[in-house]
Amino acid sequence: MLPSRSRLSVAVFLIPPLLLYGAAVLLPIVQSLALSFFTWDGISDMRFAGFSNYTFMFTDGDFWTAVTNQLGYLVVCLVLQLGGGLLVASLLMSLTKGRELVKVLYLLPAVISTVAIALLFQRIYSLDPAGPLNRFLGLVGLESLERPWLSDVHTVLAAVSAPEGWRFVGLYTVIIYAALLTVPRELEEAARLDGANQWQVFTRIRFPYIGPVWLTTSVMAFTYAMRGFDIPYLLTNGGPGQSSELVTTYMYKTAFLSTDYGYASAMSVFIVVESLVAVGLILFVLRRKAV
Amino acid sequence: MSLLTSARPAAGPTRDGRGPAPSRPAPRRPDVYRVLSRVLIAVLVVVQVYPLLWLFLSSVRTEQDFASASPFSLPNSFTLDNFARAFDHADLGRYILNSLIVTLGADALIVVCGLMGAYALQVLGFRFSNVVRGLFLLGIVVPVQIALVPLFIDYAKVGLLDTYPSMMIPLAGFGLPMSLYLFSSFFGYIPRETYEAASLDGAGPYRIFARITLPLSVNTIVTVVMVNSIFIWNDFVFANTFVLSEGLKTIPVGLQNYIGAMGKTDWTATFAGVCVTVTPLLLVFLVLNKAMIYGLESGATKG
Amino acid sequence: MKRSLTPAVVALSLSLVLSLAGCAGEERGTGAKDVDPSGAVTPREISWLLSRPADGAVISTMRELAEEYAAAHPGFKLNFITTPDRPSYIQKYETLAAARKLPELFDTDATPFARKLARHGRMMDAGELLRSLGLYDRYRPAALDYQRFDDGSLHMIPFEYGAEYFWYNKALLKKAGVNPPKSLDDFPAMCRALRKTGVTPIALDGQDQWPLERYAAYQPFRIAGPSYIAELAKGKAKFSDPAGRRTVNWLSDLGKAGCFQKGFSSVGYSDAQNLFTSGKAAVYNTGTWDLGTLATTGLNPAVRDDVDFFRLPVTENSVTGADEFVAPSGIGMAVNSRTYDPLVRDFLEFALTRYPERYAAAGELAPTSDVKTAIPKNATPLYSRAVDAAGNVGKEVAVPWDTQLDPTSNNKFQQELVLLVQGDTSPSAFIAKMDAVIGRNAPRYSE
Repeated sequence: MLPSRSRLSVAVFLIPPLLLYGAAVLLPIVQSLALSFFTWDGISDMRFAGFSNYTFMFTDGDFWTAVTNQLGYLVVCLVLQLGGGLLVASLLMSLTKGRELVKVLYLLPAVISTVAIALLFQRIYSLDPAGPLNRFLGLVGLESLERPWLSDVHTVLAAVSAPEGWRFVGLYTVIIYAALLTVPRELEEAARLDGANQWQVFTRIRFPYIGPVWLTTSVMAFTYAMRGFDIPYLLTNGGPGQSSELVTTYMYKTAFLSTDYGYASAMSVFIVVESLVAVGLILFVLRRKAV
Repeated sequence: MSLLTSARPAAGPTRDGRGPAPSRPAPRRPDVYRVLSRVLIAVLVVVQVYPLLWLFLSSVRTEQDFASASPFSLPNSFTLDNFARAFDHADLGRYILNSLIVTLGADALIVVCGLMGAYALQVLGFRFSNVVRGLFLLGIVVPVQIALVPLFIDYAKVGLLDTYPSMMIPLAGFGLPMSLYLFSSFFGYIPRETYEAASLDGAGPYRIFARITLPLSVNTIVTVVMVNSIFIWNDFVFANTFVLSEGLKTIPVGLQNYIGAMGKTDWTATFAGVCVTVTPLLLVFLVLNKAMIYGLESGATKG
Repeated sequence: MKRSLTPAVVALSLSLVLSLAGCAGEERGTGAKDVDPSGAVTPREISWLLSRPADGAVISTMRELAEEYAAAHPGFKLNFITTPDRPSYIQKYETLAAARKLPELFDTDATPFARKLARHGRMMDAGELLRSLGLYDRYRPAALDYQRFDDGSLHMIPFEYGAEYFWYNKALLKKAGVNPPKSLDDFPAMCRALRKTGVTPIALDGQDQWPLERYAAYQPFRIAGPSYIAELAKGKAKFSDPAGRRTVNWLSDLGKAGCFQKGFSSVGYSDAQNLFTSGKAAVYNTGTWDLGTLATTGLNPAVRDDVDFFRLPVTENSVTGADEFVAPSGIGMAVNSRTYDPLVRDFLEFALTRYPERYAAAGELAPTSDVKTAIPKNATPLYSRAVDAAGNVGKEVAVPWDTQLDPTSNNKFQQELVLLVQGDTSPSAFIAKMDAVIGRNAPRYSE
């Protein structure tokens, strides 16, 4: 605490960020909550609906399909981003040359807009004309695996999640790599002298040491995956059927296509609660592990 | 960059692979792990870079070549027609400019508000600071889509729909918590004695902010701008919802213009358009990648 | 701090929500019937929100006319706000309507959502407007009928006209030993025969969803006529009715017979068309807007002489005739009643009087019957045959279902159709699901 501060100075510094944040984030959350008790289509009069939006939400099969898909999407993204990031960062440690170049190349996809990525992957997954992925499978003799990735209800969710994971592998690689560099060399050397192999060094020394960074990265990856929207929306629009519909895309369509603003707001409230619970769980589990 | 070099002493020049320095001792026996990791790294580089390469190659192919050629062959035709059609279809320069305006505007808001908020929370301190901190953390967790409906309605009421601020406000608002967190953790590293000395000299909170905190924060500002810019530049959902007129479209929304009526898409022109819009950011990225990677690394390890 | 803040925020937002309700009532600019408002013509900028190809003939013709009008009326300008991609367009149009920001002119199909807007007096009565301008009788009845709501009222003005045919490759059908189908029920057998020869029977743009939805409309239109979809959209008819069951089973059979290319649901417009024009697919269903691709020397020479078309086949006991099929006049233009004034009227009179002739001169089919389509120089004989067949239609028009169902049901219907044809859902499950969805959503649009 600065001794010379006054109440006024605190207010001067605090009010602009609070105003921005309040207008953009807090007020919409509160408004969603309020709107979720109404029925409104944007044209006719607003009608008070009590809890009917919520009761419908809990019986709406499509909504729960979307929730399940969102979890699948999360898993694919997290495995690719965190697992991939950790793997690559560890590999980078063993490189003596060209680390910088490799990092830049890995980060490249992160700067490309999702619309471009969706257009790109539409071609990559294409079966007729065969896109790069199916051509590649044909070249290495895995013809049996060639399929319309975006039309097959079993593969589509993974297919729309993968580009999102792929985009940010580089981002998480760079962060985790920086954390790995802070691991004291003496610890590793000592372990090696005790006869620990590469794997043991990693699990006993390196990984525990980067715990705090790993926590930050997990929360970051999780929240960005919860915001997943663009690529599924643009690539398949939730199809075929509902196989790649996420809660976010379902909510968006409910609001801006079906113009059922009340029900969409009820879903927003659900998303907020779900995110809070999930992040709470992550923190709880990782903290316990860290202790 | 000191971070990187200090950790690996005396491994010869680590500039990107220009061969071993002559003075190097004989290398250790190549163990399996080393070879395997090199191969894996190479494979992953291909996976990360190949799609982009294919994008650029497709943009100079003719329509027939694109439809028939294998995706792993070099183009057997070279044409710049696609670029001509790309510029015909859409006002690419306008989109790039709009993206730039929105990104700079939102970045400015995030940096200014982030610095001020972190200063109030971390340096000045006040009674309910933890409550306010918790409130801001909420924004890190909550997905942006929930703000769409209420904001749309509010904008319609106050006449903000279809303006630059309509995109900047939510992008900055949702980017603010993360940057507040980064600034706060950085301010934690500034020794208290610095402030106390300045206070004894009679400097008030405003002067201390301007003379001490701000100049020290340059690196963190770079980090915050870099991380946020990636997300803001590529934002699709706010722009797609709040922008209605052609003149305000940002790149992601503008690219949708290539999806024609009834879904007829001119693929090669589309890819040419994508290449044009990707290039500025790629250039910025290639020039600034050191700063960006440094920013990411320091942000992550101090967080 | 927080304690005093939270109630304030809640109160504030509640008042915001309630004040929203206040502005959502009935309000009218000019009466939607008052098509000849008094007052002087004062030129200003007006906008047209549309969903048509940016380089298409409709926009280029209207742009020309707007420039001529502006030359005579300094200060006038017509802004074209175009979103060719239909799903994005619908989203934009619906949100603008909710925000009360619709421009002077806007495109819309005769959807339940549009009917709701019309009922709230947001669009001018287009029938009255065209009559007062003395243009009504020039329009093809089929073109106007396509734009009507099911109560017969007319709120949109057509700018194009066309017919949809099944284009087919004679050589490929011959090789498979089949003739063009006489009945819709011949389709599965035709597909199986074509599959045996190793070609894709029917090329389908599944990504855009409306092409598959066309197939859903065919059987009911033959069995029950246009009334079935009108009743279905209101929730009065059901998929469990005979006509509904028939179409669901037929679509499932098309899927089982392998009619469409593998992975059709992620194949886009251009790729599907390429399948047909490169001779890999035997049949392709599309409208006269594609004449420039399919009936000119621009078509791949390898298939050019083998391409022909047939109209929508009938079925046994059809209630509609062979000359009655999908003949859409495209998305229509509504005139916003809240911004309608002497200028808008004067401009429309100027433009609509001259439009058909110019449009037809560009080789297109105009929505009026008093002009002749100019056949382009590079046309194959098919071109004029297709144009003539479009001019020769019966009284009943088959309407595409995506213009009839409410947006929620339509979205669900499109999703479920893919699953039905891919064999991922059974006809009975499809029927149960769709009847439940329409039963819930249709009433929101018909008060």
